[in-house]
Amino acid sequence: MIAPLKQDALIATREAAARRFVLPTRRDEPWRFTDLRTLEKSLFPPAAPGADAPSAAVQAAYSSGAPAQRVVLVNGRVAAIQGAHVARLAERLELVREIDDLGPFAALNTAFVEDGIVISLPAGASERIEILHWGAAESAGAYTRVLVELGAGAEATLVESFAGTGNYFGNVIAAIRLGEKARLRHVTLQDEAGAAVHLGAVKADVAEGAEYEAFVLMLGARLSRHDLVACLGKGARCAINGAYLLRGQQEATIATFVDHAAPCAQTSEVVKGVVDDRAHGVFQGKIRVRSDAQKTDAHQLNRNLLLSPRAAVDTKPELEIYADDVKCSHGATVGDLDEAQLFYLRSRGIPEPEARRILVEAFAVDVVDLVADAPARDYLMRHLGRWLESGR
Amino acid sequence: MLSIKNLRAKVADGGREILKGIDLEVGPGEVHAIMGPNGSGKSTLAGVLAGRAGYEVSGTVTYDGRDLLAMSTDERARAGVFLAFQYPVEIPGVNNMYFLRAALNAVRRSRGESELDAGQFLKLVRQKLKLLEISDDLLQRPVNVGFSGGEKKRNEIFQMAMLEPKLAILDETDSGLDIDALRLVANGINKLRARDRSMVMITHYQRLLDYVEPNRVHVLSGGRIVASGDKSLALELEAKGYAGLEAA
Ligand SMILES: Nc1ncnc2c1ncn2[C@@H]1O[C@H](COP(=O)(O)OP(=O)(O)O)[C@@H](O)[C@H]1O
Ligand SMILES: [Mg+2]
Repeated sequence: MIAPLKQDALIATREAAARRFVLPTRRDEPWRFTDLRTLEKSLFPPAAPGADAPSAAVQAAYSSGAPAQRVVLVNGRVAAIQGAHVARLAERLELVREIDDLGPFAALNTAFVEDGIVISLPAGASERIEILHWGAAESAGAYTRVLVELGAGAEATLVESFAGTGNYFGNVIAAIRLGEKARLRHVTLQDEAGAAVHLGAVKADVAEGAEYEAFVLMLGARLSRHDLVACLGKGARCAINGAYLLRGQQEATIATFVDHAAPCAQTSEVVKGVVDDRAHGVFQGKIRVRSDAQKTDAHQLNRNLLLSPRAAVDTKPELEIYADDVKCSHGATVGDLDEAQLFYLRSRGIPEPEARRILVEAFAVDVVDLVADAPARDYLMRHLGRWLESGR
Repeated sequence: MLSIKNLRAKVADGGREILKGIDLEVGPGEVHAIMGPNGSGKSTLAGVLAGRAGYEVSGTVTYDGRDLLAMSTDERARAGVFLAFQYPVEIPGVNNMYFLRAALNAVRRSRGESELDAGQFLKLVRQKLKLLEISDDLLQRPVNVGFSGGEKKRNEIFQMAMLEPKLAILDETDSGLDIDALRLVANGINKLRARDRSMVMITHYQRLLDYVEPNRVHVLSGGRIVASGDKSLALELEAKGYAGLEAA
């Protein structure tokens, strides 16, 4: 069992969660492709408070620049916060409870979390919020939780960025509840330190007629995983798009589960992977269409580009359909750069490394283009460009 | 400018021989037409000169005093070799202007010239559009994606105008064009003829030669040049067909 746990009002909840926590293995279906050999030695307890906030330059680099309520967390604890609808979780710890369906690291989070962010927008309100999760620790953990509640018809754009320095263990759990006809655009940039581990999981409950649009760009961390579970009400709309760009010996997983329990909801999902060197990318995506969920429209696609002979990808798109009047599709591809396209570019004088970069960029930009919010899209393009330029 | 001696090309990994000993001399500023039936090796010759992978090549090719076969595809292009593709490649997600600017700046860098910024580049684009009397409708689209056959060929000629090669190899730039598109493309080729620019113009039909007058005409058949002559050879071919010529 994990220890030591903070002896606070939550101690009974923490102890129960700690007892439930079991390190996953490859025998657990949702984890079967993820290389977990190095995970156990990275399960650090929370970092002590007091680490420095990132410099203004770093904060600017991890901001879209658009006017927004801004929050900075350092090692999972709030360092700066603003906004009428944004509060510290440390002051609302009674809101911490177990979140179903998010697996063992949600339990670990319950055991250790001491701070995070609570966003609650009343009906009809509208807000833009940007959160920088900064990790700055050696052999210590950054545990945090983000709770989002949007009232009926409320609209929010939430841009979360993860970055830092050190070999910390980053663990973030988000619980999102969208009221009827509410809309959340949720953009996540995972650009953690190269030695860090990042395990993030999101649970979104999307009420009737509400819209949840998620985009996740995974660039950093030596081992990372982004889990997303969405439960859709009647006529709800869900978009989950994203990309993992990996090199060196990076290991990253995007795992999604969309549950269509009510009729007329829509899901569209496009996840792309670019994997170089000896890196390994994993996509596991499941869409379940329950028997009551007639008129479901759900499409899922995972496309991968392998840039080196030792790069690898595992992909498992999955549809589980129990209703008969539905439109669903899924697919996955894994391929190399197109030789004919490379030859064409090079035949115009473009050197091979640049020709390759142009083709990789085109492949990845195509999915980032799906981000509807222009400042967030430009922000992701900027980091994508930096990733491409930092290649060999 | 271009001197080809006993050029042979086999499909790599034990495939069959497609070019079976080609000799060709193209002087500076000359336009040579290469004609021949389908499957005779015209595109293979063009591809081998541009550095296409997948062939075992022997013989010598000297370009501008350099050993062309020892150079990589992109080195050849930066040294002034341009191939107008028979089937230009579609590249989704790559904007035509962005692509051309990357290409032009790669060529300029290798010549020790400064890169063009967006404004300078645009100015040059306008100048070349005007020279060729073509519109700018293709420039903001992804490279060749969804272009008609004629648009693809027009785009190849436009690239040639932008990159100002010393040796242009035009692989059936005339095929699949209606008469108006053919005129447009032929006009472009004529505008780009220059004393320091040689052209190898591969064509299946003699009609392009009504518009662009070559210095020499060669007939490629079965991987060999079986006849060479002036432009009357093209007319003779038109009358007798390739079969008649081979029989002769
Ligand atoms: N890479 C290749 N692999 C196999 N066959 C090839 C390859 N390149 C060319 N060929 C064959 O060589 C012959 C000549 O092709 P090509 O040069 O395209 O002819 P042309 O352009 O004169 O019509 C054809 O039979 C073609 O199928
Ligand atoms: Mg051909």
